[in-house]
Amino acid sequence: MSLKTRRTHTTVSIVAVACMVASLAGCSSSSKSPDTTVRSAAAKKVVYLINGSLGDKSFYDSGQAGMAAIKAKYGVETRTIEDGFDAGKYAANLAAAIDYADVIFTISYGFEDQLMAAADAHPDKVIVNLDTVVTNPDKTITSVDFVEEESAFLAGAAAGMLTIDTTVNGINADKVIGVVAGDKDPVVDGFLFAYENGAKSIDPTITVQRKYLGGAWDDQAKGKQAALQLFDARADVVFQVAAAAGLGVLQAAKERNLYAIGVDSNQNDIEPGHVVASDIKQLGASIEKVFATVVDGTYVKGTLINSGLKDGGVDLVTDATKPVLPAAIESKLKELRTQIIDGTLVVRRYQP
Amino acid sequence: MRMVDISALGTRLQGLLPGTVSGTTPVLLAALGGSLTYYAGIFNIAMEAMMLSGALGAVLAADASHNWVLGLLGGVGAAMVPALIYLVFVIVVHTDEFVTGIALNLAAAGATTFVLRRTFHVSGSYNPSDLAQVPRLRVPGLRRLPAMGSLFRGDLNWLDVVAVMGLVAITWVVKRSRSGLRLRAAGYNAAALQASGVSVARVRAWSVVWCGVMCGLAGAWLSIGYGKGFGENMSNGRGWIALVAVILAKGRPSVIAGTALLFGLADAVGLFSQDYGVPSQLSAMLPYLATLVALYVAARRLRLHSTPPPVGVSQR
Repeated sequence: MSLKTRRTHTTVSIVAVACMVASLAGCSSSSKSPDTTVRSAAAKKVVYLINGSLGDKSFYDSGQAGMAAIKAKYGVETRTIEDGFDAGKYAANLAAAIDYADVIFTISYGFEDQLMAAADAHPDKVIVNLDTVVTNPDKTITSVDFVEEESAFLAGAAAGMLTIDTTVNGINADKVIGVVAGDKDPVVDGFLFAYENGAKSIDPTITVQRKYLGGAWDDQAKGKQAALQLFDARADVVFQVAAAAGLGVLQAAKERNLYAIGVDSNQNDIEPGHVVASDIKQLGASIEKVFATVVDGTYVKGTLINSGLKDGGVDLVTDATKPVLPAAIESKLKELRTQIIDGTLVVRRYQP
Repeated sequence: MRMVDISALGTRLQGLLPGTVSGTTPVLLAALGGSLTYYAGIFNIAMEAMMLSGALGAVLAADASHNWVLGLLGGVGAAMVPALIYLVFVIVVHTDEFVTGIALNLAAAGATTFVLRRTFHVSGSYNPSDLAQVPRLRVPGLRRLPAMGSLFRGDLNWLDVVAVMGLVAITWVVKRSRSGLRLRAAGYNAAALQASGVSVARVRAWSVVWCGVMCGLAGAWLSIGYGKGFGENMSNGRGWIALVAVILAKGRPSVIAGTALLFGLADAVGLFSQDYGVPSQLSAMLPYLATLVALYVAARRLRLHSTPPPVGVSQR
């Protein structure tokens, strides 16, 4: 799941409240849909309910793009409801969403119980949970889970190839790469597991050094401090899995004239010439794909959809205004990517 | 870490030095401001709000002007917003210091997010690559110094130096100057100060203003000094740590500096210790644990020695 969705914000956000009021007002003014079938004819109103806020230019916004796409393609009414990281909002917003919509796409991380209860109470609604797996007793929720290991594996392979290529400016002889993680938890460790496997698939003698920020996901200064320590320990490439705190990692790479790998969105141009790749996740493609099945009647309740490189759910992007990776590494990455997509290379999934 | 070779270990240990300074500076800057309000008899818990506002203000100004000096001024100016609100409520209207401070800290978190979104149309963080930053402290001649050389390799910036100068200046002002005497009198015996013809309210107001200046610099350190760009809640509790340092030191700048340094050291060593198998949950606690231990030790020592001025209970 996205690193940004995972943070629990206790911050009282004026914005969140304002958005909430606006979205609720919008929802409550609409009349209840009398028909209770969920076949294509009834899928007229779609809600995108998120536990955070739009404007992150990555995870949440990519879902919003998917909503815009289905609105344009099918002419459905769409609404987006933002909780703005306010834990008290989800239940009320979910009730409003169910009241209004036929199809609900939601990121329910942290609110799974509420989603399960609502889904059991409203079996007529299409409820699609994004980014985590939620199974309600009646098995009506369909979950889209992202195979983060596939893109993180590619990130590790990129870092591994870079650290052994001493012809690249600044790369030292030691085969050390690093990673800065926001906290130690199963999701993050999934990233780290695959990153390490990716690097070791290039050269098993590569050492991967980890720094955890102990939950300081917001703290850019701390992220930078951690990265500087890794660079002092002879790492040449540091992968950041630390949301906003990871921006400090990119700054450290710039200051040491070394390299970083971004996460969540394409961060390659934040410090041009120093961010060699970004491990991204896209909700939009999944929303479009699942909604298409709702429209054509092939949608099945209670299924688990794994979205990886193949479906465009996750990816490693290297395009930048100032690309860094040598052509040989780029082409090898492309090759690995193709192998993962066609199944000749199976990336091991993390088991907590 | 496996296979540590000696020279690499040397580099890493030397890296702890600028790392410690980087952990220290923002806390020190804010706590020095807090020292002034402490002496003036104000229990000021709004430093987090001032710091966070300062961080955003510095980015707004530096981004618009492409000039780090204006960025610093912007940081100080933005920190003045919560500082002046605090001043009006606590000193003019006599609201509760604690409640007002809590309200300001919460409001600052929301308000900075709001301004961030309205100005740059992003949520989370704004990190332009060409943001004007405070110049790095890079002294090629001193780079070769044994052990200390790492301080001059460019990890630090001139705000770190400003923090040290601030320590010297505030120590002098508090201990030696007439303003400092009045400042302490405002906290120690406000009635006597008032009777001598000096306005206690005015002295306290100035202490809040200067606290705002220092916290603004602390915020600017976060966003255009060490860091580059603003992120929601990027101060991450440093204003609270500064408050602990102030209370622990009972306002005294030298003890504040020691506490901040201890915090900074624990911050750097905490991350470092993960390489030796210390669980990250424990290493993340280390700075706070160290502060707590220092608090205990200091409390015991202070009881044995002098009687310091009363804790900031305002005497009106």
